[in-house]
Amino acid sequence: MDIEEKIRELERRNREAELGGGEDRIAKQHAKGKMTARERIDYLLDKGSFQEIDKFVVHQCYDFGMEKKKIPGDGVVTGYGTIDGRLVFVFSQDFTVFGGSLSGAFGQKVCKIMDLALKNRAPVIGLNDSGGARIQEGVVSLGAYGEIFRRNVWSSGVIPQISVIMGPCAGGAVYSPALTDFIIMVKKTSNMFITGPQVIKAVTHEEVTPEELGGAMTHNTKSGVAHFAEDDDKAALDRVKDLLRYLPQNYLEKPPAVECTDDPNRTDPELNKVVPTNPRIPYDIKVIIQSVLDNNHFLEVHKHYAQNMVVGFGRLNGQVVGVVANQPRVLAGCLDIDASIKCARFVRTCDCFNIPLVTFVDVPGFLPGVGQEHGGIIKHGSKVIFAYCEATVPKVTVITRKAYGGAYDVMSSKHHGGDINYAYPTAEIAVMGPEGAVNIVFRKEIEASEDPEATRERLIEEYRRNFASPFKAAELGYIDQIIFPENTRPRLIHALTMLQNKHETIPPRRHGNIPL
Amino acid sequence: MGEVTAPMGGKVIDIKVKPGDTVNEGDEVVIIEAMKMELPIVANESGTVKEVKCNVGDAVEADAVLLVLE
Repeated sequence: MDIEEKIRELERRNREAELGGGEDRIAKQHAKGKMTARERIDYLLDKGSFQEIDKFVVHQCYDFGMEKKKIPGDGVVTGYGTIDGRLVFVFSQDFTVFGGSLSGAFGQKVCKIMDLALKNRAPVIGLNDSGGARIQEGVVSLGAYGEIFRRNVWSSGVIPQISVIMGPCAGGAVYSPALTDFIIMVKKTSNMFITGPQVIKAVTHEEVTPEELGGAMTHNTKSGVAHFAEDDDKAALDRVKDLLRYLPQNYLEKPPAVECTDDPNRTDPELNKVVPTNPRIPYDIKVIIQSVLDNNHFLEVHKHYAQNMVVGFGRLNGQVVGVVANQPRVLAGCLDIDASIKCARFVRTCDCFNIPLVTFVDVPGFLPGVGQEHGGIIKHGSKVIFAYCEATVPKVTVITRKAYGGAYDVMSSKHHGGDINYAYPTAEIAVMGPEGAVNIVFRKEIEASEDPEATRERLIEEYRRNFASPFKAAELGYIDQIIFPENTRPRLIHALTMLQNKHETIPPRRHGNIPL
Repeated sequence: MGEVTAPMGGKVIDIKVKPGDTVNEGDEVVIIEAMKMELPIVANESGTVKEVKCNVGDAVEADAVLLVLE
């Protein structure tokens, strides 16, 4: 064979590999509204930047006649490229090849790029679209999954790992995304579950559709497993790019700053009116969040889950911040199990990647209820404490209204390492609300008085004036400054600028033992 | 057919719709008092109000059905 023939042979093999499972299967994929594995990579990465690895890898299985059917690539496209000029490693599962099922060879390909990503300290993006383990491979496929999971864990907190679920993701396959930092699901065409509807029906006789069991909205609302639900493949891939803009390449770098085109001294007089003076009336905390952030841009994370807690990314003066806030409009802004988990997870993610935290507090307490107690609110609530106390990134807190009881401590208080703690004039920082406190402290006086109701009302008013305010806390130095709401943005930026070189360490140990 | 349920235990203090009304997803339909706050309960889907299953002044538990939509 001369050189011309050799080159033509290579080109032929390249084209063959690029077809994956063939034109028919590609057409089926498109008919379902799904892109192919290669189309997704092409859309996600900067044009022309993709360097594929292991294009010709085939499986090594000799059982069940598998040796007669080998497809180059073996069901996953792997390699590296850039997004917005930044190095990322990517694997894209190919549903047209053996249903995207995972074999030993497939697993090896994924592990190779995970190892490269870890060594070169760059993010991994996983595009999931797979029927799960390739049964014919037997235990080899289980071993392959195990090797992937270990690498997810070893990379956790070192490099960002983002999973996009763009098709089925079942059985053992779900554990890899579950171990990553963010999960984006495509509505209607993706699902995640450990055991699927058929097995569930056979064992427990429950009937459920794949979408109800583990579709995008199920995991975005009920389980909280997924952080985003997008309308289609392209929207999901756009979301990956959105997220990456707020994350550094690895834990040793700061998140990428941009030039700030929004006056850092911008005040907003409307904010003075947002928090009602009547503590019974709720308001939307996102109004405050959006007002203060650069260009009013807030990337909400986990939007549909535990909506009594709001978390997400934004920028202040061009620098990335992680925002955490109680949402008074939902469940009165109470902390419950789901909100605690959502908050703690986000706080820890920010701390992994050097993202400063800005916390807005309006919390009347923890949600009472037998369900909460039996569900372990004690454990889950303490996760928030653990997360904030452990976090050594800059932490700035703004108490907008209520901060009662233990919830006051838990929500990024000075005692838990808040670097700068602000309060609005409408803040009510107290051990409990006036009604509850008066009933306990003045029980005897009220009972003994001539008109208990009038006495109670008077004492409640006095308590409200003296204690349900920010001043007691400010007198103790638990609040650094009481600020006018219209100045929130400049105040936050001053604090964060002061804190930009913050360096803090906690006592050494193998690792903390966060209640789980 | 959708149900609008109470997200937490509380007291119904205002019902903003009646059978036959059209509601859009996100419209406030009921106000509940809980944790000493007046909380808006919104419609989780668009539709017509088929039945109002609570009265102003009722104490309701978490997950109690307040409205039925179709």
